[in-house]
Amino acid sequence: MNYGIVIRILGNLLFFVALAMLFPLGIAFFTNGPDTMAFAYSILLTCVVGLLMSLFPERSQKIRAREALAIVTFGWILAAIFGAFPFLFSGAATSVVDAFFESMSGLTTTGSTILNNLELMPQGILFWRSLTHWLGGMGILVLTLAILPLLGVGGFQIYKAETPGPLADKLVPRMKDTAKILYLVYGGLTLIQTLLLLAGGMNLYQAVVHAFSTVGTGGFSPYTASVGFFNSAYIHYIIAFFMLISGINFSLFYEAYKKRFRDIWTNSELRLYLGIILICTLVITLALLHSSVYQSVIETVRHAFFQVVSFITTTGFTTTNYENWPAFCKTILFFLMFVGGSAGSTAGSIKIIRLLLVLKLVRREIGRILHPRAHIPIQLNGKVVGNDVAISVISFYGLYIFLFVIASILLSIEGIGFLSATSAAAAALGNVGIGFEFIGPTQTFSAFSASSKLLLTFLMLLGRLELFTVFLLFVPSFWRD
Amino acid sequence: MLVIIVGAGKLGYKIAEAFSQEDNNLIVIDSNPEVLERVANSLDALTIKGNGLDISILKQADITKCDLLIAVTSNDEVNILVSTIAKKLGCKKVIARIRNPEYASQVGFIQEQMEIDFVANPDWEMAREVAKYLLESSALHMGDYAEGRVVMDDFRVHELEGYGGKTLRDIQFPQGVLVAAVLRDNQLIIPHGDIELADSDVIYMIGTKEGMEKMPETVKDDASRLVRSAMILGGGRVSYHLARLLLQNGVAVKIIEQDQERCDFLAENLRKALIIRGDVTDMNLLTEENLAEVDALVSLTGFDEENILLALSAQQFQIPKVIAKVSRPNYVPIIEQLGVNVVNPILIMASEILRYIQGGRVVSVSLLLGGEAEVLEIIAQPQTRVVGKPLKDIGLPKGIIIGSLVHNGQVVIPHGDTVIEPEDRMIVFCIKSELVAIKKYFYQPTRGFLSELWNRD
Repeated sequence: MNYGIVIRILGNLLFFVALAMLFPLGIAFFTNGPDTMAFAYSILLTCVVGLLMSLFPERSQKIRAREALAIVTFGWILAAIFGAFPFLFSGAATSVVDAFFESMSGLTTTGSTILNNLELMPQGILFWRSLTHWLGGMGILVLTLAILPLLGVGGFQIYKAETPGPLADKLVPRMKDTAKILYLVYGGLTLIQTLLLLAGGMNLYQAVVHAFSTVGTGGFSPYTASVGFFNSAYIHYIIAFFMLISGINFSLFYEAYKKRFRDIWTNSELRLYLGIILICTLVITLALLHSSVYQSVIETVRHAFFQVVSFITTTGFTTTNYENWPAFCKTILFFLMFVGGSAGSTAGSIKIIRLLLVLKLVRREIGRILHPRAHIPIQLNGKVVGNDVAISVISFYGLYIFLFVIASILLSIEGIGFLSATSAAAAALGNVGIGFEFIGPTQTFSAFSASSKLLLTFLMLLGRLELFTVFLLFVPSFWRD
Repeated sequence: MLVIIVGAGKLGYKIAEAFSQEDNNLIVIDSNPEVLERVANSLDALTIKGNGLDISILKQADITKCDLLIAVTSNDEVNILVSTIAKKLGCKKVIARIRNPEYASQVGFIQEQMEIDFVANPDWEMAREVAKYLLESSALHMGDYAEGRVVMDDFRVHELEGYGGKTLRDIQFPQGVLVAAVLRDNQLIIPHGDIELADSDVIYMIGTKEGMEKMPETVKDDASRLVRSAMILGGGRVSYHLARLLLQNGVAVKIIEQDQERCDFLAENLRKALIIRGDVTDMNLLTEENLAEVDALVSLTGFDEENILLALSAQQFQIPKVIAKVSRPNYVPIIEQLGVNVVNPILIMASEILRYIQGGRVVSVSLLLGGEAEVLEIIAQPQTRVVGKPLKDIGLPKGIIIGSLVHNGQVVIPHGDTVIEPEDRMIVFCIKSELVAIKKYFYQPTRGFLSELWNRD
């Protein structure tokens, strides 16, 4: 392990974190918020540590796969630690664990909160929460790649480790340009959504904060009632639409720019994603109409669509208290937490592409019973996917379910109900952020014990970095050369 | 510059590696996912799996905006066709590897009709390089520059009298030479005055030919001896080209080859050569064929290991010139430390292609040490950074050394106060990681501070 280069790059990363904190500092300063000094101290601290780390001498510039993976995992942990200081210094979070939880929840775009009285929080703090969503959504290290050219080849390893999905591909030859394009798309979406929300009557602050939380598929809102705070169908639809867009593989936007519409139309992951959303919305709408939860059909469709998209993209915004929905609808929402968005999007959880590959594998196994010697390669968008990818997808599924079970059991020690424990585990692991009963749409995570909060934080990191990357650190030979 | 490389074999990879160091967008096309994965993991390039002949694949690689396509698959016909298609689709320049000797006579015709800009024939290039070494008394692989007035050469420190254990500052070098780099434990070091030479080091020197001849070598390369007879082990394509070149220059050639049909072909096409059918590893056969008496031994079999071992055993016979073909570039520095002269087809070819691409400004390019460093011969352009200021004020990176300078026909070894003028010929030594900077200092006209920031890479 080349520790020198790892530490140096992590130091550079901290500069970015400090740079990002300048925005909430500005807001705190101009609103005369009580959190101004909290941000100033946090920036100072982050800068000093970042400077010390970036002065670390390195043996060589070479970044191999293992250095890249160490950079990614520790980068996220460090960013979460330093991102927690504003919460701690401003008094928004009452304990170190709470601050760390909030920060990690933001960066991993989970959106679980421990803040009980959002309406009393200073605007700088609330802005920072949403900004961490935005930074974490596309990947804070991919952002570093876009700006810092120093990671030539190692950059691709970092990109692979940080970008969700089993098959990360570059868009253009150079890693730096790929990262730039991704962030251009990402920034563009954020800008368009902000403008559309402004047109819907939000003020600039509300629009930006909600756009950050939506495009990063995070789910932090400055209001306890989440998006339900705005009593406007237009705003609900805009946010739902952008959640849906953010759950699509970002490389498809580049394909659209290149006018390869055929490739987009025939993309099987996109089709399955839209199909699931369509069917779930339809079924939930019918069930809600059957038990007449809402007055009008239009309102029912809107709430059903919003909640389905929010759950599948692992955002965690709500427009209504779905706890009042029939059990059938809640069960569907619960399992949507395990679906997730597309690979290469900002959404979390297992991801559509893995579901698709597993379905294809199942179909192949069934076909093999009839023709034991048939050679049926797994294909995705007309290209053969190697068996190694198939095996990694299945092991991901296995590990995901295994972690979910263990975490649910550990969380139930708290004495909360079965649905509360399982949905808390799924919400953290899948970066959804909301669940049912104990952690329902009107609840927060503040009542959990410190150890459970740490467990949830760990699950969020595992989920965001797609399990294997983090587990690699526990393999002794990873550290030896 | 957008560069597409079709075929990611040994040569394709080496070229890709050379290009990825510089400021290029690189796309590599191959049908084998395993070699592509190697490229994706170690170079900053986009890989596309597929057949380079497939137009949709080429279009996916943005062929219409492509500046250069290099077709180096294992198949000549595919290379020709890929480059022709690419040219028709709007690629600015295309290079194809064609190695079948039967095409050799019609390469010009093919090149013209198929609109291929440059045809690369590695076997021919390699044969020419070896023949040059055997026929002239120049150092192998360490090029001649400025029409032979400036040379680059490597010395093993233990063969230099009174160099081991001293620092560079204390050594009295002959006039007009400069240490460009030190190879230690397979690492290329750019030296400073305080570095102490160890016996196991190899030093790379640039300087005037006269200066280089005054180096106190204990084991004199018997290079001045004229080669009158040569033994070539293996009868492949390179051997064929080499034998022809040597025969043209009146050298007696013996080729040892095992395959019956190949022997027939060689005998038919090389009437003056003596073709011996037998196993090259059979030492008895070789001694019987008077191995000890030949002036040169060239081992060109298809196996690196065989070539290396044969060359090492030939060292015992005190043959003046021994050369081994080693195809894997990674081996080259190690073997050179053993004192065997090595030719590497991949490096020769990559140098050749790079030289073609660098075009007018660069007179010659050589890749050294398995591509760890390059030597470029560049003619100074007005309004570039290197021109008009004393060298010490230019701020060249440590890995770039201007080894010599030809100013008004005079060879000058530059020092800190030397000012380079336009049209001076510079021999520049550059390690791999600094190649990008070459462009900045030697080609790009100086511009304002803002554009500097904007184009920062």
